Amino acid sequence: MNQVALTWILAEKDLKVAYRSPQAFLTTGFFALLILVIFNFAFDPGSQATREATPGILWVALLFPGIIQLNHSFQAEMEEGTLYGLILSPTDRGVLFFGKVLANWVFLVVVDLFVLVVFVIFYNFSFSVQMLWVVLIIVLASVGFAAVGTVFAAMLSSIRTREVLLPILLFPIIIPIILAAVNGTQEVLILEEAQFLHRWLQLLIAFDVIFLASGFLLFDYVVAE
Amino acid sequence: MRAVLNLDLEVCTGDFLAIFGPNGAGKTTLLKMVAGLTQPTSGDIQFTSQDGHSGRERVGYVSHQSFLYNELTGIENLIFYGRLYGVGEVRERADAMLVKMGLRDARHRKVGEYSRGMKQRLTLARALLHEPDLLLLDEPYTGLDQHGSRLFTEVLQGLKEEGRTVLLITHNLGAGLELCSRVVIQNKGELVFQASRRQLDASEFERLYFQAVEGKKNLESRIQNSEV
Repeated sequence: MNQVALTWILAEKDLKVAYRSPQAFLTTGFFALLILVIFNFAFDPGSQATREATPGILWVALLFPGIIQLNHSFQAEMEEGTLYGLILSPTDRGVLFFGKVLANWVFLVVVDLFVLVVFVIFYNFSFSVQMLWVVLIIVLASVGFAAVGTVFAAMLSSIRTREVLLPILLFPIIIPIILAAVNGTQEVLILEEAQFLHRWLQLLIAFDVIFLASGFLLFDYVVAE
Repeated sequence: MRAVLNLDLEVCTGDFLAIFGPNGAGKTTLLKMVAGLTQPTSGDIQFTSQDGHSGRERVGYVSHQSFLYNELTGIENLIFYGRLYGVGEVRERADAMLVKMGLRDARHRKVGEYSRGMKQRLTLARALLHEPDLLLLDEPYTGLDQHGSRLFTEVLQGLKEEGRTVLLITHNLGAGLELCSRVVIQNKGELVFQASRRQLDASEFERLYFQAVEGKKNLESRIQNSEV
């Protein structure tokens, strides 16, 4: 069986498991909703200052709950030792990595799109063509986030303090993604002319490639006992 | 601290090797090294199948963790692993394994709803799905009641009659002796005893086991006393 098919089989398995035990989805979605609600109470949605802060608010609501999903993706594998089952198989470790990243990416995008809809309603934006650019930014940023997050989640999967350590280790590494995502979103939502949007998209794509390649190369060492 | 030390062991095709030893003897580490989950710090592990190939696809591994996904059904778990191992006609093969393990009626139930005994049989089905040359069983009787143990032993007896090569770690001296063709005892990382099953008297084995394990301790204390 070719590597692409194996990648899909691995991702499909994770998505099926997540669908049948939606605790992570519900927790992630609820946490994101809570962030949006709290910020909605804290700031006047009609004021210009709040409007300028909305890109940051959106990405706080997208990134922090995403940590929950990343932690959960390997926690579930440790419970019945299924990670060892995957490692024992003849499947290339790089394929295991891409399968996990694909599943995490799909999950993050689904949750993020739900969060975006709530965000648009709460902060008085409109479902215009402009929002498609925000969707593109979310899709691209989620790739890098999922790639790095998968590596670190695997690394920390057997450590008791993983929920604390994962954000501490992860966020400094994905600063370029956060920078590009927040600024790109600002270009779309706040600035009249999104003249630098393409630069931020290029930065996102570049770091997605870097993080995917690095994760692919490192994953073998990360999952080795 | 070394979990496995100076271990030189040859296993031939068709051997059913029972590995006994106290907790912390290094038995699980030994099996993990054979399975490729752990790399030895020195020495190597060589095995070849009939076609001369060796690799993870030639090994089946059963530990006290099931490696099964609780949210997937029995047949979904087997089809998933079958695809990872490149098993042809995987659905038919999975169905056949479920029948063999007496789990056909439970194949569409989630594994999380299975009893411990059912999980262990499904785990064995998972390990045998790709027809491995070498089957590694790490304390597979853990958590099984007497009925489950008996069923599991019947399945292993069938594997023995098929001529499978098996390494079995168990604390159950009786079940291990009933099944095996060779016995080794491991203590503190080293093999302290090896024998063919034919050379052993089952009624005497428990005494022999404790002698082999304690004999090492007694030997060490005699050496320490002489140094003092």
